[in-house]
Amino acid sequence: MNLAAIHSWILTLITFTPLVGALLLVLSPRRDREIRWFALGISLLTFVLSLHLLVHFDKAKAGFNFELDRAWIAAPNIHYHLGVDGVSMWLVVLTTFLTPLCVLISWTSIQERVKEFFILLLVMETALLGVFVALDLFVFYFFWEATLIPMALLIGMFGHGRKIYAAVKFFLYTMVASVFMLAAILWLYAKTGTFDFVVLQNTVHTIPGYAAASFWLFLGFFIAFAVKVPLFPFHTWLPDAHVEAPTAGSVLLAGVLLKMGTYGMLRFDLGLFPEQSRANASWIMVLALIGIIYGALVALVQPNMKKVIAYSSVSHLGFVVLGIFSFTTAGLDGATYVMLAHGISTGGLFMLAGILYERRHTYDILEFGGLATPMPNYAAFFLFIVLASCGLPLLNGFVGEFLVLSGAFQAKAIYGILGATGVIWAAGYLLWMYQRVFYGKVTHEINNTLPDLNLREKTALVPAAIMALVMGVAPVLWFNTIDPAVQSILAPFAQMASRVVGP
Amino acid sequence: MTSEANLHLSWIPLLALTGATVNGFFGKRFSRSLVAAVALAFCGAAFVWALVVVSRFSFLPEPVYSEPFAQWIQISGFHVEFAFFLDHLSLIMLLVVTGVGFLIHIYSVGYMWDDPSFYRFFTYLNLFMFFMLTLVLANNYLQMFIGWEGVGLASYLLIGFWFTKDSAASAGKKAFIVNRIGDFGFLIALFLIIQHFGSLNFTQVFDAAGRLPMETAGAGTMTAVGLLLMVGAAGKSAQIPLYVWLPDAMEGPTPVSALIHAATMVTAGVYMVSRSHVIFERAPMALTVVAIIGTVTALFAATIGITQTDIKKVLAYSTVSQLGYMFIACGVGAFSAGIFHLMTHAFFKGLLFLGAGSVIHAVGGEQDMRKMGGLRSKIPWTFWTVTVGTIAIAGIPPFAGFFSKDEILWKAYQNNWVYWFVGLVTAFITSFYMFRMWFLTFFGEYKGDADRHDSHGNDHGHGHGHGGVHESPMVMLVPLMILAILSIIGGWVGIGGRFEHFLAPVFQTGVEAAHEVEPHSSMEEILMLVSVAVAVCGLALAWLLYVKKPQLPKQIAEGMGSLYRAVFNKYYVDEFYARLLVKPLLLGSTNILWKGVDQGVIDAALDGSATGANEVSDSIRHMQSGNLRSYAGWIAAGAAAVIVYMIWVGTR
Amino acid sequence: MNGTPQVADYLRILPEIVLSVFGMAVMLLDPLLEERRRAKVLGGVGLVGALVALVSTFCMAKQRGPAFWNMVQVDSFSVFFHFLVIAITVVVVLSSYEYMEVQKIRAGEYYALMLFGAVGMCLMSSAVELVLIFIALEISSISTYILAGFRRRAAISSESSVKYFLLGSFATAFFLYGVALMFGATGSTSIAVVSTRLQAEPTVPVLAYAAFALMFVGLGFKVAAAPFHVWTPDVYEGAPSPVVGFMSTGPKAAVFAVLLRIIFEAHAPGALWFVWAAAALSMTIGNLAALVQTNVKRLLAYSSIAHAGYLLIAFAALKGTDGIISAMFYTASYAAMNVGAFAVIGHFAGAGERYITLEDYAGLGRRSPVLAATLTIFLLSLIGIPMTGGFFAKFYVFSAALQNNLIWLVMIGVLNSAIGAYYYLRIIVTMYMREPNHEEAVPPVSFSLGSALAISVVATLYLGILPGRVLDYARSAAEYIR
Repeated sequence: MNLAAIHSWILTLITFTPLVGALLLVLSPRRDREIRWFALGISLLTFVLSLHLLVHFDKAKAGFNFELDRAWIAAPNIHYHLGVDGVSMWLVVLTTFLTPLCVLISWTSIQERVKEFFILLLVMETALLGVFVALDLFVFYFFWEATLIPMALLIGMFGHGRKIYAAVKFFLYTMVASVFMLAAILWLYAKTGTFDFVVLQNTVHTIPGYAAASFWLFLGFFIAFAVKVPLFPFHTWLPDAHVEAPTAGSVLLAGVLLKMGTYGMLRFDLGLFPEQSRANASWIMVLALIGIIYGALVALVQPNMKKVIAYSSVSHLGFVVLGIFSFTTAGLDGATYVMLAHGISTGGLFMLAGILYERRHTYDILEFGGLATPMPNYAAFFLFIVLASCGLPLLNGFVGEFLVLSGAFQAKAIYGILGATGVIWAAGYLLWMYQRVFYGKVTHEINNTLPDLNLREKTALVPAAIMALVMGVAPVLWFNTIDPAVQSILAPFAQMASRVVGP
Repeated sequence: MTSEANLHLSWIPLLALTGATVNGFFGKRFSRSLVAAVALAFCGAAFVWALVVVSRFSFLPEPVYSEPFAQWIQISGFHVEFAFFLDHLSLIMLLVVTGVGFLIHIYSVGYMWDDPSFYRFFTYLNLFMFFMLTLVLANNYLQMFIGWEGVGLASYLLIGFWFTKDSAASAGKKAFIVNRIGDFGFLIALFLIIQHFGSLNFTQVFDAAGRLPMETAGAGTMTAVGLLLMVGAAGKSAQIPLYVWLPDAMEGPTPVSALIHAATMVTAGVYMVSRSHVIFERAPMALTVVAIIGTVTALFAATIGITQTDIKKVLAYSTVSQLGYMFIACGVGAFSAGIFHLMTHAFFKGLLFLGAGSVIHAVGGEQDMRKMGGLRSKIPWTFWTVTVGTIAIAGIPPFAGFFSKDEILWKAYQNNWVYWFVGLVTAFITSFYMFRMWFLTFFGEYKGDADRHDSHGNDHGHGHGHGGVHESPMVMLVPLMILAILSIIGGWVGIGGRFEHFLAPVFQTGVEAAHEVEPHSSMEEILMLVSVAVAVCGLALAWLLYVKKPQLPKQIAEGMGSLYRAVFNKYYVDEFYARLLVKPLLLGSTNILWKGVDQGVIDAALDGSATGANEVSDSIRHMQSGNLRSYAGWIAAGAAAVIVYMIWVGTR
Repeated sequence: MNGTPQVADYLRILPEIVLSVFGMAVMLLDPLLEERRRAKVLGGVGLVGALVALVSTFCMAKQRGPAFWNMVQVDSFSVFFHFLVIAITVVVVLSSYEYMEVQKIRAGEYYALMLFGAVGMCLMSSAVELVLIFIALEISSISTYILAGFRRRAAISSESSVKYFLLGSFATAFFLYGVALMFGATGSTSIAVVSTRLQAEPTVPVLAYAAFALMFVGLGFKVAAAPFHVWTPDVYEGAPSPVVGFMSTGPKAAVFAVLLRIIFEAHAPGALWFVWAAAALSMTIGNLAALVQTNVKRLLAYSSIAHAGYLLIAFAALKGTDGIISAMFYTASYAAMNVGAFAVIGHFAGAGERYITLEDYAGLGRRSPVLAATLTIFLLSLIGIPMTGGFFAKFYVFSAALQNNLIWLVMIGVLNSAIGAYYYLRIIVTMYMREPNHEEAVPPVSFSLGSALAISVVATLYLGILPGRVLDYARSAAEYIR
């Protein structure tokens, strides 16, 4: 098979490998052990396939790489159009990177309905990948909605506590929001007769009545994305969903699913409605700032580990939105980088929280304390990820946040300043939680008996830790593909872009 | 800028990092001596290589050397690299850090020997060295920021080294967060610099800044940058209002207090300000602020020092106050004087802390001076070395502290006599409380109970197995002696402004480098005598109160009443912060944001709409009476509506 | 009325003929067979009849053109609905098979009525003469009236039958009156003529408006559009599940066909705004009322009201053919998923339709994974999740409306489908996330029912993944009535 063919089909291959795996699982007998290994194998295979993108990505190429555009349905005129740029490629890799870790982390924590669990997990992966590679609004919308069901089921079937409430809340919250996007997509289609993002990007301005409608279209997309991000005040589904979700669910939810929102803003809001994006940037950035500070403050006082992490996500994703709507190179590069970094570090935090839950079946911080004594390795990993998450230089969190803030600062000084308070809060809530969980004397006798990390858990955590370090030390490896993509996204914002950092 | 000669500066931090890595990953399995060997080897190697670099540096054609290492961040229009930079300023810092650092490493081997997690300690210690050296050798602000945050991390880990002790854990966290507040200012400063110079590289920024006029007329960008940098410096170097973390930091093992919280890390702020002197010199307003903060801090902390009874707390407050001196120096544009004091302070304060550590070690972990006394004879080596340190800090010639402090006072006087006067008062107080400590610890009767038990809760690291007051082992005494010698001779390099000339290449560039030329010699000598006299008075008063009339202090204290209590309780600053900042923040977040907005407003609104929908739904269901007549009625009504509407449309 | 019918004329109503013949055959066989074998055989005959009719639609399709003095019109449009209605009949017959046994219902005329009903529906779609349409409407209605009451042991069933009958005849009276007025207004009851007259006249007479209003009342009742929907929940609750599947899709399809002809082909005046209102009202009332339902059949009854609403959106899209196309597609995909859903419900309900509340579905995901998965597909399609027929159905309707700039109606529709998601989701959630409250095993799915479900699932997914074929056919059909 010649390289060109591979290039055009590789995305399809990556996207649907997990789905195929899931289907095979459907047909397979309920032999849990084999199922786990199989799921691990499939997810690893997907990851390996996705590496092809990194190797063969051509950053000189204008537009999208690994593009495939096939007519699928005549009416409506739907094309099976896939492709990635420097931004989405990394999100794809992030997804394929996290999924095997999710499998590992669920190895023993999932004992019931193992088959269903891994089926859902793999279906979830396909849906997520699809969102990032789709270049046809319809295909995009399809994958977008398709993520809802497996995630809702993961939460509802394998979660704990008020899992049903959480699942339904998650589903409706995001469903209701995305119908606005559907309406906008329908309008675009009705007027242009195409769903193709690339085509729309060039023709959208020529639509009669676009000027009048563009605000509502922008809003339609934006609301769907804002809820997913989640942007204040649409965030209240997140803590519930996280707290009740099984570990793997939380990892994918925080690690990848939230990025769908920010990615959507980056790709579709900025891509299709540049004027509107700029016109509305100010209030959006204000919301983002509120999210940063608000999320951090609420995280500070949560009694539940997972809620702390959940609200910290609200805060971190606020940085991403802030960066995106600064329309500066630094801002967008940084935003993209925060997406990836947050995926790794928050994913890591949720894995760690899950490991503890598996041992004690609670996330209540007061139940712990002094854990550093019985579980030194666990404590070390936790501290490492915590530091990565609160933006310590040389770890992944810092680079992105720094760029975002400097971008925001250029857009409007006060935004950068208020956003920068985030670094204080982050240190506050994370270190405080860490202290209450790991430092001091062991207060509950049972905690003395907790076993430290086993090999499997280490295997799941080490890659995340390594990535956190590499991303902090060598961001160059990422930016040389991200930056060109960001440049082309910013192209319509020429006058904005002229204010990017640099002499 | 890069010259042919490659000094391999990068090796210095990397050696320290290697040490940390080795011990970090394998130290658990190593024997104590192996751990110590690794730590010392790498730290020592760093020191040796630093010496080599220094020797080579003097032969370089130009007095600045820059060594690119790797790209770090690179996006369109902006890039930051890892690169190492050496000039006379960083040279001094380099020697201080590696030298004192190495001595303290040696000392720690003895001090921490009995600690269960010996290897962890040295891992952190080497890690600290790595970050501190990155900070010192950075050639751009962002890399400096790496070191800046990194040392913060190391200090967090080391303060909380005995994490089972809640006070230690909290102290560590407090240090990190308060520093983060400072870093916030630092970050904003960086954003401003990026915005105006498009780069964070020192040479580029300073070249560009050098061309700017002085912002005499009110505040401008440089002033803003300066003030923001000052915020960062105030955090790291424990200046008002961000000093509160340093006293608590004494929860850490004593060598840590010596290395991080006296000799090196806390001086980073001073280094950063001097490094940015080009910017500050163009922002007189910022400089004034620096000077004022320095002055106030110096006096403020000194007064607290008088009343402290915990030997390490005394030293901690004295450190804060000494740092204040350094800021005064920077504030009056005498950066070289500031660095000079930084160096001597590193010697004698390092010495004093190690000495204190030796004392604590001797009395089995006791830190309260009231439970000490009469140790003079019991631990002679410690006694003599600490004596040297005390005299040095008190500013009595020919000991190191005298020269640097005097330099600062003289420069302050030239700028504005108020600084000088406050500085002088502070000098008096310093001398007083240092000798107070000296007398309380080493003279009079031994009031402690180390003979009955060892290893008091406070300092775990030692005392196991050997009861009674005892002199420390050689491995601890040797560093003491070396530092003692340095504390004596260390100041001599300043005689005749030699030190200043040495740094001239760095600070000459500044516009203010003018008034170090005219030698106000007569006045200078007078002031010198005054400050010496003041120091001696301090000694005398201390002797009067704590040797001659030991009952007096109590009476005075009672006489002072509330004022004394205020001072004794550190002016209630911590309580103030807790009440007015922390508590409201937590309560507000809980009750207003979380329970209020999140649950009370947003979720409530959602649930409200849900229940609303259900009620509507219910009412519709009741329309469904099941009663045939009502159904027919509905249909008829609907039909009527349609027909009427249509007829209306038709006849329109 | 000149000339005698040709062979072609008969071929053009061949499916109707086939269905009637087999229907009568069932009636005749009924007394001849002894109790035991009766159900099986009659069912078989019914099935064969339906299948033959299905095949016969193909030869009917070959004979396009008017028949019986322009009272019947065979074109792609009528073929489409013939095929649809008969396909529905096939599936329903398949799913009734087992149901009848479980419910211990004397098969007897059940299958015959179903076939006769189908005759009426087929005729509705091909009749182009208002009076004939009325007759066809009555044929289909009467048989469904009786079918609704077929669970004779359950009082509720007979009640539903009576209600349906009384209200139904009340409504059809409106239709008939409307026809009369239309005759008065245009002097004809032939849709073609009516159309030309209405367009010829400079000002359309008020009478025509009134006439159309009355017809709409009658038809609106049949499709359960608000405000004529009130009967639906009670009737659906009482009627046998397969019958509900049948009467919620077959007659609906047929009546919508009629409505299409009247609105688009006859250019009925002034339709826009009250169709608009009826659509909005139906969607909103249906979805809101469904929120609190705990009886699954009632829940789906309201859902079918809501779907009638979505469908009516298409009728407000008067410009161009998009409205017609989307309406046709909608009836097809709605039929696929709804028949399937009721087949599952009917099977799961057990003898006497015991398990019919939401609680009964708890843990179904574990107790009968296949059944649960099947129902889930139908429900997802009813929600309108992409890759199911339901999605494209909504999609086409909405985009047709947008073509006509009915943005607000679309917004109402879109929001409604979000609300709707909730109660369908409730069923899925209950099936998968709730612990079963009684461990009685779900009876295995019989072959006939299995094939019925298979057909529905395949149809639902086919329409969701490759809607092209059906859509193209609908497009070609639309040409005939534009």
